[in-house]
Order: sequence, then C-alpha cells, then structure tokens
Amino acid sequence: MSRSKKNNSIFDLIHEYLEEIKELTEELLPSERPSWDIESLTIEPLCNVSVTPNEVIVTADLPFTDPNSVKVEPVDSMTLEISAKIERRICCEDLGITHQEGEFSAFNCQTRIPVPVEMKKRKSKFKKGILEVRLPRKKGYEIKVE
Amino acid sequence: MAIPINFIEKRSIPSGTRMVCGFPDVGLVGVLASSHVISELNLVEMAYVDSDLLPPIVVLHKGLPHAPIRIFGNSNLLVIISETAIPAIGVQRLMRKFVEWGKSKNVKMIIPIGGIPVQNRQDIEEPKVFGTASNLDMIKLLEQKNVNVLKDGYMVGPQALIMRYCAEQNVHAIALLAQSFYNYPDPEASAAALKQLSNVTGISINVSKLFEKGEEIRLRAKDVMKRTQRELTKMNKGQEYDLPLYI
Repeated sequence: MSRSKKNNSIFDLIHEYLEEIKELTEELLPSERPSWDIESLTIEPLCNVSVTPNEVIVTADLPFTDPNSVKVEPVDSMTLEISAKIERRICCEDLGITHQEGEFSAFNCQTRIPVPVEMKKRKSKFKKGILEVRLPRKKGYEIKVE
Repeated sequence: MAIPINFIEKRSIPSGTRMVCGFPDVGLVGVLASSHVISELNLVEMAYVDSDLLPPIVVLHKGLPHAPIRIFGNSNLLVIISETAIPAIGVQRLMRKFVEWGKSKNVKMIIPIGGIPVQNRQDIEEPKVFGTASNLDMIKLLEQKNVNVLKDGYMVGPQALIMRYCAEQNVHAIALLAQSFYNYPDPEASAAALKQLSNVTGISINVSKLFEKGEEIRLRAKDVMKRTQRELTKMNKGQEYDLPLYI
C-alpha cells in the first residue's frame, strides 16, 4: 500500500501500516476462507498463473459461463481481476452448501502477477469453459554478450 | 511409534477381485472416475480407512458422517475413493497399506487411475491414455489391449507409490493415466481413462454422464482440487514435467 497523503494523523498511519501487514500476511499465508461469498453472490474460480520467458499466462476455470460476459481488468500494475456471469441459477444447495441460503450469479477473483507485464497488451481467449489471458512481460534492458 | 492405519470392514470382502484406486491427483481424474464407477455400477460401501494420518474430518452424506477414504464394491470389483486430498506427510504409509490390504484379499489386479498433466490440454479434444505396469506380464497385457505404454519419465504421488509397492510385492498392477489439466477438475480425462479401464478389464461402464454433467462436476470439485494441488506441490508433483535421466 502506498502512503500517498502527506501529514496524515498518527491513527491514519497506524491504520495504513495494519492494512499493509494484513496484505503481506494474506500473500504469505493464505487464509482459510470459503471460495464463495454470499454477500456479493460470487464464486471464486480456480485460477493458475504461469510465467514463461516472454509472457505470463493466467487461466481460470469458469464452468457455466457466458463467454460474452467475461471481463479481464487490471486492478493495478501487478493485479488482474477476472469476473464472469454464470449462465444458470446456482443455489448454495447445488454446491452442497446446506447451512446457508443464496444464489450465485457470477465468478470473481483477483490474481497477483508475479513479474512486471504490459497490461495493455493482454490477449484473452475462452475455450472449453477455460479463460486464458496472455500478458507480455516487460523487457528491461539487454546485456550484450561479447 | 508408527501411526496405525486400520481397514474397518463393514461387509465380507470378496477374494480375487480387481481393485480400482481413485486418489486425488492432477485433474482429480482418479477421484472423478472412481466416483462415476461407484454410481454407475451401484457399488456398496464395504470398508473404510481409519487413521490419525488423515485430517480430522468426516464427510456428511444425507446427514450421516462417513470416513473420507472408503472402499466400495460388489462381488467382482473393489473401488477405493478418497474425498479429501491425501496429506503428503502420510502418502507413503497409506499407499503401502492399501497394497498390503489388497494383497491380503488376493486381488488379481490393482488399477490406479490418474492424470498425466499436459500444458496444451485445452487444445486436446480426446485425451490419450497411457499405461504403466508393475511387471512384464502386465506390460504385455497393455500391449495386447493397445494401450500406449508410458515408457520413460517420472511418476509422482499416490498412483506412483501404488505402482512401486505393487512391483515390490509382486502384485499385478496397471496404472491408467489420462492426459489432463494439472489443476482443474477434468471429467473428460476421467471418461477417457474409464474407456481404457473397460478395454483392459472387460467391465462395461457408460461414461456419458461425465460429459453431460461436466460443468457441474468442475464446479463442485473445485475446492477438493485446490487442496489437492497444495498437497501435490509438497510431493514435488511438478517433477513429472522433468526430462528423464537416461543411464
């Protein structure tokens, strides 16, 4: 997190530090939380990130998805948000959740990209219910080999 | 002191059957295949596994608690299924015990079903199935049945250990491994593996529901897949991508 505002109160600074610690903890020790959210009516899809010499490939498993509803948007330079509408009605019970009531209408997840990429040059395809996003890696500088 | 692994037999276990194993692995290929066989052939629960090596969970079905690893069967087939990821820390002891238990029941063949991860799985319409065997007789059987034999490479995880212990204990075994996604449930790969199971054993299994309910299966299996992936990482499953060392 960036401490953008100058002359913050001590309480704001403490709050920002705590948020930063929370983010780092989430990154290092993934918390045990459900892969669905009853408030936002969303399901977190399975997602995978792989890094090749030239690009980063992000995939997500999105069954029952209308391909036209899939959205891939950068949250910041290192985070990608994937969302998609679910085509059919999926209740908690359909997923074996019998202690809560509700219906899920969308998939949503945020994925951290491990290396710098050109977010604007991303290319996506959707096949067999699986989304694939290819992001070219940012090139730094070349080292000449003599 | 070794942590005990007990097989609690609820019914009399028939002797001389085939034993199919479906443990969580890449694409959950074995679990989905075993679950489908149990449902298609109306197999009944015959035994379950009790061990402190397993996580402290029960699986609720219709309100009743069940052990996460159970053995279903009929008079000529046994099917082991695990509804939870096998903890990496106990995988060797558990798999050794499964082979010993199968041997004690005079099983005529152990058949672990699993996946073999391929990076271009999205572009493959019909996954190929490869077989490995515990001895030369079983290799010949695979060749007779026109199953592609996985000649070189590494196997990692529950299926790999079953094959190793079967070879050590001279138990006939064939592993059927279908090309699959690494970390997404893959019912199509399970269907491909089951077609080869029918081919090798002569047991007729209709796999159409694995295609019809494919999306539903993928959605419902995603959390088990996620936990399985964590355990597979601890087992260095990625080594299956490695180039084999030829000596």
